[in-house]
Amino acid sequence: MQAMQPKKKVAFPRYAEYNCAVRYLVEQGLEATCVLQPALTRHTEEIGAKYSPDFVCTPFKTVLGSLIEALEAGADTLVMTHGLCRLGYYGELLEQILRDLGYSFEMVNLSQYSTGRKKDWLKAAQRINPKIKLPRAAAALLETFKMVDYLDEITARYYQNCGFDATGGEYARAYRQFLTALYRVRSRAEIENAYHEARQAFQRIPLDKPAHPLRVGIVGEFYTAMDAFSNLGTEQKLADMGVEVHRWMNVSHRFLHYSGEKNLNVRIKDLCTYEMGPTSTANIWCARDYAARGFDGLIHIKSANCTPEIDIMPVLQRIGSEYKVPTLCLTFDSQTSDVGLMTRLEAFYDMISQRRRKTF
Amino acid sequence: MNQAYLGIDVGSISTKGVILDDGNRLLASAYIWTEGDPIGAVKKLVSLLEKQFDKENYRIVATGTTGSARKLVGTIVGATIVKNEITAHAVGTITFYPGVRTILEIGGQDSKIILVENGVAVDYAMNTLCAAGTGAFLSSQAKRLGIEVEEIGGYALRSKHPTQIAARCTVFAESDLVHKIQMGHPREDIIAGVCNAVVANYLNNVGKGKNILSPVVFQGGVSKNAGVVAAFEKALGCKVTVDPNGHLMGAMGAAILARRSAGRKEFDFAIEEMTFYTREVSCGRCPNQCEIICVYCENKLIDAWGNRCERGAITA
Repeated sequence: MQAMQPKKKVAFPRYAEYNCAVRYLVEQGLEATCVLQPALTRHTEEIGAKYSPDFVCTPFKTVLGSLIEALEAGADTLVMTHGLCRLGYYGELLEQILRDLGYSFEMVNLSQYSTGRKKDWLKAAQRINPKIKLPRAAAALLETFKMVDYLDEITARYYQNCGFDATGGEYARAYRQFLTALYRVRSRAEIENAYHEARQAFQRIPLDKPAHPLRVGIVGEFYTAMDAFSNLGTEQKLADMGVEVHRWMNVSHRFLHYSGEKNLNVRIKDLCTYEMGPTSTANIWCARDYAARGFDGLIHIKSANCTPEIDIMPVLQRIGSEYKVPTLCLTFDSQTSDVGLMTRLEAFYDMISQRRRKTF
Repeated sequence: MNQAYLGIDVGSISTKGVILDDGNRLLASAYIWTEGDPIGAVKKLVSLLEKQFDKENYRIVATGTTGSARKLVGTIVGATIVKNEITAHAVGTITFYPGVRTILEIGGQDSKIILVENGVAVDYAMNTLCAAGTGAFLSSQAKRLGIEVEEIGGYALRSKHPTQIAARCTVFAESDLVHKIQMGHPREDIIAGVCNAVVANYLNNVGKGKNILSPVVFQGGVSKNAGVVAAFEKALGCKVTVDPNGHLMGAMGAAILARRSAGRKEFDFAIEEMTFYTREVSCGRCPNQCEIICVYCENKLIDAWGNRCERGAITA
């Protein structure tokens, strides 16, 4: 009889709400166990910052803290993403720091497999489960993509409408229920079910929304712009003031349905000659698209020391002045206070709503 | 009986208060140091205002607070409106200077720029993560040079050849400044150099990429410094207006906002006599460990804030 190989206990850093999709892929596709560490908290950030180089960008600190929490929760295999900026080197650095701290674990650093050849992704998957069943894994991968699609679609709808909830909380409750369901799904049918329930709930809940609400577009760095903990809930805070909050940047738009760096770059050729970074082209294109569509304001979110996003700030300033759209740049660090953020967001809201009153 | 409106602006370094009438005339004003004690400063401020205030003919029907301690102070004085300092400054300045296009503001710990078009703020920026080039830097350098911060302006204007001082970062500016002192640069030139450094830092940070159009109004505590005003005029190539009450503009904005908003509640000078204190509690219900501030009046909890979710909610 063949000896049973124990299942690997796999963990991925906490990242917005995408860990539900990671869990689905690991458990349904790779037949391993996914360790879901606690959601990001100040404690995560503190332990991460303690062992990180001081001048590294904030997501590194959060990710390190989250991986430590995963190891403490019993993970034995860590997966770290590849990346198109410094992020590409983070896997190696994280591994070294964690080993120096004395943790023992297996590291699957996707940077080593992102060669462009599909065969190499398979090798990474085989590190997690050497006896991977290809048809099953392929099917689960497609289902995971579907899940990310649904998650992004519902999240976008949530932030566009939750500020106008007429029931005082039903909308937020429906969104939370949807997220909870996604962390539990085990099949395609359950994914579809969660999605349709959320859609129906959103349709059913009465909204008190004016015909032309204030619209703010959010652009920014891939981690901080999307992760509510890292940006201190900027989207929710804005929405609660009665704003329709739009954010194009998410995993499905940037990866699953991305039109390609070159195709996007030609649309902003008049603004920048070269490709500038992992999300810079998309952010510039997106900011101008929001401006051209008559949005009331743009907010740029980045972590401190994020070079690609610092580079696009002059372009955003130009878009802001050409289209006369107020543009607010926010930088988040592990010490950024909630009070300072509220001051800036309230002032931004006062400004865009006053402008509206004078122009119409 | 005429109606009056109280505006209080509690900043990191100074606490400002004004009482305005319906025509925006100043009935009383005070400017004192916060000295790390916003509650004590406000009580002192209120007693100073009370002495100037004509209680026979006016009564205060609405109160606005602004500045970094706006929430705490708003709770204590029973404010009818609590507004961020950016909006308060914009509203105050636009009321007194309807044609203004650019508002420069440098306070004790923060600096901001507000661009105005047709009497409406259309863009703003505020310093983040770094307080380089604010009033705190000026006062620490004045101390180093053994002069009062109020004297800086006079010294700076006497300088013929301002010393070049690295303006990028307060820490580097300070070491550069020490170096230049030890090299033997005259004090006037060093001080003028510091004023130029503040302006260069401001224009490179908060003013970056902003189209600064005339008329320009400069306010905040640092606007009282003639050396910095001169440095701004030179750098921008246009006249920079400083209102005699520019240091009170945030408080005036708060008073004007209180008048315009619907809330009405008579202000009671009795708060001078009451004891207020705050306590910080750490919510232990999740690892976020939110720091919740509880405000007490005469040993009774009147408000609490700082929690990120309902689990940490404390109600009076």
